[in-house]
Amino acid sequence: MESMLETQNIYAGYDEADVLTGVSLKVQPGKITCLLGANGAGKSTLIRVLLGLTPARKGQVFYQTKEITNIETHNIVRQGVSTIPEGRKVFPKLTVRENLLIGAILEKSKAKAQDRMEGVLSIFPQLANRGQQLAGTMSGGEQAMLSIGRGLMGAPKLLIIDEPSLGLSPLFVKENFKVIQKIKERGITVLLVEQNVKQTLEISDYGYVLAQGQVVAHGTSSMLKSNSQMQAAYFGQGE
Amino acid sequence: MDFSLLDQHIINGLVLGVIYAMVAVGFTLFFGVLNVIKFSHGDVLMAGSFAALIASLFLSQLGEFPTWLNLCISLLFAISIMATLGTLIAQHLVLPLRGAPPLNTLLITLMLGLAIREAVRLFYPNGSNPKPFPRLLPENSWIIGTMEIRQDTAIIIVGGLLAILILNLAIRKTRLGLSIRAVAQDPETARLMGINFKRIVLGTFALGSGLAALAGVANGLYYHEIIFDRGLFLGVIGFSAAVVGGLGSLLGAIIGGFLFAFLQTIGAIWFSVPAYKDVFAFVVIIMIMAWRPTGLLSEINSDRV
Ligand SMILES: Nc1ncnc2c1ncn2[C@@H]1O[C@H](COP(=O)(O)OP(=O)(O)OP(=O)(O)O)[C@@H](O)[C@H]1O
Ligand SMILES: [Mg+2]
Repeated sequence: MESMLETQNIYAGYDEADVLTGVSLKVQPGKITCLLGANGAGKSTLIRVLLGLTPARKGQVFYQTKEITNIETHNIVRQGVSTIPEGRKVFPKLTVRENLLIGAILEKSKAKAQDRMEGVLSIFPQLANRGQQLAGTMSGGEQAMLSIGRGLMGAPKLLIIDEPSLGLSPLFVKENFKVIQKIKERGITVLLVEQNVKQTLEISDYGYVLAQGQVVAHGTSSMLKSNSQMQAAYFGQGE
Repeated sequence: MDFSLLDQHIINGLVLGVIYAMVAVGFTLFFGVLNVIKFSHGDVLMAGSFAALIASLFLSQLGEFPTWLNLCISLLFAISIMATLGTLIAQHLVLPLRGAPPLNTLLITLMLGLAIREAVRLFYPNGSNPKPFPRLLPENSWIIGTMEIRQDTAIIIVGGLLAILILNLAIRKTRLGLSIRAVAQDPETARLMGINFKRIVLGTFALGSGLAALAGVANGLYYHEIIFDRGLFLGVIGFSAAVVGGLGSLLGAIIGGFLFAFLQTIGAIWFSVPAYKDVFAFVVIIMIMAWRPTGLLSEINSDRV
């Protein structure tokens, strides 16, 4: 099967030092692929490279077999990639409705955007009667919903999610994982960055473990789940 | 104090307010999308009025056009030339300096403003002197109660207000406006939405510069003359208006523009020496800035600075 997204030997970083040193991974279509790793391992940096926000110094990125290494972000997004960025990044001074609409900014048909909005509001009914509220005034959990909803408004083929449940209460976290499962059931491919190892492996199909900018383990989720040695080594929470 | 011409003072204040607001809106838009101060903005305005003058004279040479047609063509010409100029400035001077300290952009555009000014003085025949601007608007008067208002003045006020209103609606209601606001708040996330950052920046500079051309033409139509260094003064006023309103805030810029005109009008009524009105207005603006350093309607929130 052709992979949805693939990186080959990616090197990238911010100033002088490389944060990523030779990362290769594959995201299979229709599946949830997760990217695990301790704080500072380079997960978000890899996401930034995929999206053209941080340049790759070496290596290649392919999307549906087409090379997209270091092309402009909007041209990657246009090919059907939506992101729920680290820290949610809702537009604080846009209303909830505008935040959702901007997720569908590439869709020229108003009717289609409206359809998508109804779909999103059926997943997050809590957002429905908040249309006019400024996103910046919402709670962290609500902003997380809005950020996910905004990502879905792009009707993506591939959805990249970077730590959606950071800072949320356990109840919200559980809710978030359910939503991600639902997203997959709609046929959307997911690349998920998470800290909650156990719950993440529960819903994902395949996983990569990143440590100090390198892939140190990968395999099917059930395989990673049973690998308590690996979990103890990288997350200090093996069972 | 001189109250005898109160209604004329008010009408004059409205015209100035409209012109200042149009200039201030440009400053606030540029700052919004790119966090830069583009100091050549006032000179773009002046160049716009000269572009309209040249177009209008050229048309008169060609033959007998109705004045309204002459006005429309000259106006469109000025707006499109200045929108193009604004885009070029953004593309070749402002965008390449992203990442450099904002002061550099300010300095470069300050010098560019000087270059535009001197170029007009040099290349326009006898460019150091004021040039008569064609009277392209009807000059009859309407009498409303005891108030007399000239039609050209009324058209300038209404036209300017309409332009500001339309721009406001466009920013608030259209997809382009939504993209501009998103880029202003968080350029990186805006790009993640599929927005072409560069295109939005260039579009914003085109929009602001086109509006400056309109302000320049309004200025020429109102005073019936234009001069090469008028843009410097209007640029400083428009910038002050944008800052006092809160750089980055559209409504703030509009309020700032009218506030400045209002202060000048008060100054003009209060003092018999006309030059004092500007001093008075600037002093009050400075006091307001001391009281609210980030402007009346500040858009600059802690997470943006
Ligand atoms: N903008 C930046 N400038 C300089 N260094 C950065 C920048 N962003 C991240 N880094 C560094 O790169 C390394 C990897 O960071 P990254 O954000 O990719 O980690 P992460 O795996 O996403 O961690 P977390 O789980 O905490 O989000 C860290 O050492 C970090 O300090
Ligand atoms: Mg991260």
